[in-house]
Amino acid sequence: MASTSSVPDAPISTEEAALKALTFQRLHPKAFLERFLAENARPDGREPAEWRDVSVNVGSISTADGSALVRLGDTTVVCGVKAEIAEPELDSPEDGFLVPNVDLPAICSPRFRPGPPSDEAQVLSDRLNEILVATEVVSTRSLCIESGKAVWVLYIDATCINYDGNAFDATLIAMVAALQNTRLPKATFDEDTGKVVCTRKEKTPLQIGRFPLSVSFGIFDGTHVLTDPTSFEEPLLDTTFTVVVDENGGVVSVVQLGLASQDVLQKCIATAKSRCIELGKQVYAAS
Amino acid sequence: MAQSNFDRRRINGPEESFPPVFADDEETFVKPGASRHGRAAQDIRPIFLKPGLINQANGSAYIETEKTKIACAVYGARQSRSTTYSEKGRLNVEVKFTPFSCQRRRAPMRDAEDRSIAVQIHQALLSSVRLGLLPKSTVDIFIIIIENDGIEGCVASGSIAASAALADAGIEMLGLVVSCSACVIGKEIWLDPTEDEAKQATGTLVYAGMPALGSVTSIWQTGKLTAQEVFQCMDACQERCTDIHLVVAQALLDSTPSS
Repeated sequence: MASTSSVPDAPISTEEAALKALTFQRLHPKAFLERFLAENARPDGREPAEWRDVSVNVGSISTADGSALVRLGDTTVVCGVKAEIAEPELDSPEDGFLVPNVDLPAICSPRFRPGPPSDEAQVLSDRLNEILVATEVVSTRSLCIESGKAVWVLYIDATCINYDGNAFDATLIAMVAALQNTRLPKATFDEDTGKVVCTRKEKTPLQIGRFPLSVSFGIFDGTHVLTDPTSFEEPLLDTTFTVVVDENGGVVSVVQLGLASQDVLQKCIATAKSRCIELGKQVYAAS
Repeated sequence: MAQSNFDRRRINGPEESFPPVFADDEETFVKPGASRHGRAAQDIRPIFLKPGLINQANGSAYIETEKTKIACAVYGARQSRSTTYSEKGRLNVEVKFTPFSCQRRRAPMRDAEDRSIAVQIHQALLSSVRLGLLPKSTVDIFIIIIENDGIEGCVASGSIAASAALADAGIEMLGLVVSCSACVIGKEIWLDPTEDEAKQATGTLVYAGMPALGSVTSIWQTGKLTAQEVFQCMDACQERCTDIHLVVAQALLDSTPSS
């Protein structure tokens, strides 16, 4: 290591070298990342503009009406949809409910503590709720069973099992894929009893209106644009962008936190569009 | 239950909602002597165990026995947050159900079942960990039940996963803890019951022990069983635990990089 260059280095074993690098990473995370970027690489072996692999596995949880497991690099998110029946609101008698919630439990990273949802989880849930409502992934009208009497409530619960950065992108894919995987039993409203009866024989998939995909970037040190940041990189970033694009390349939402020039943002949006078209084919084609 | 469940920290749905009622609900009755979907009375569900899936943790394990799916992570040993000095380390077990893990949606913080499972797993592990070597520290074990098919199975699988995760984290133990559940249906003893089977049983028992030392760390029995039946269950579980121990040891061996 250069930090001890004044002393002639004794030959050290690979194990010792790894330990030294780990210590350096813990003590000087910024310098650690700077040295990697000077070589046009990132600590996990990617180039600055490289993505992590995404894998989607749907329908593996039998207790849920629809489910998806998404891995974005090492970030792992499981999402399950549970359908229940409720009375609609008085002012919107035909609208069902979508209730998305994200949990970042203590299991997924040493940063989180057990207990009620952390600030980060609350912000994540709220942003995902906005996206799902804004894009009408599932139109609330299509969840109506009997106007003014009964509608479906879809509880979309995502749990992060391993937090290695960029949970937002992974969770959005997981939620949309789980909704795409959801099959609702056929429900009929009985006028006489005022109850809803379902049948297991007939199950119908949800009508998915749009397929949003999210892509995140971060700016490190004012100059380096890093795509799909990891949990190590995230706290070091000055600025983060999240661009949500639907399957036709239409921009749904752009969030910029921090300072950046306009052309960087435009470049990110353009990158996001091309990435989403390619990624959308892969992740939402599966089921 | 309606008014109290408004939670500002989560996205809230309607005040009340109910799981769908099915007209054609098939009753899944299980009878003594009946087939168990191809399993014999003394067979357990096949175990898939993979240590080290959660790279943020010091140690972790994922276990799957047919429908039951559980992830477990170990953080520590790290500094205890309490200020009181303790010569021995603390073992902390937290269990969480995902809301979609059961037949009925499990709304967050509604019941104490996760707490009771945490206590059982804590008991199963406690005597195996050498906490005397970890003064002032806490070992946190976090368990997430992704899908649940029988609480007894969850406790057993959770204990196995937790012990494997502890080994993966390099925390010193006297031996690997493995666990097995049993239930009595009629006059028969069925090992590793599913949720449907456990519902029909007159009594259930969860056995945990360290087969390498030939010792028992915890027994949890509920329901109406004669002393005779309890001992029979224990013997059956103990025998099966030797096999499970092999599986766990092999999974741990496979996950260590050969150097």
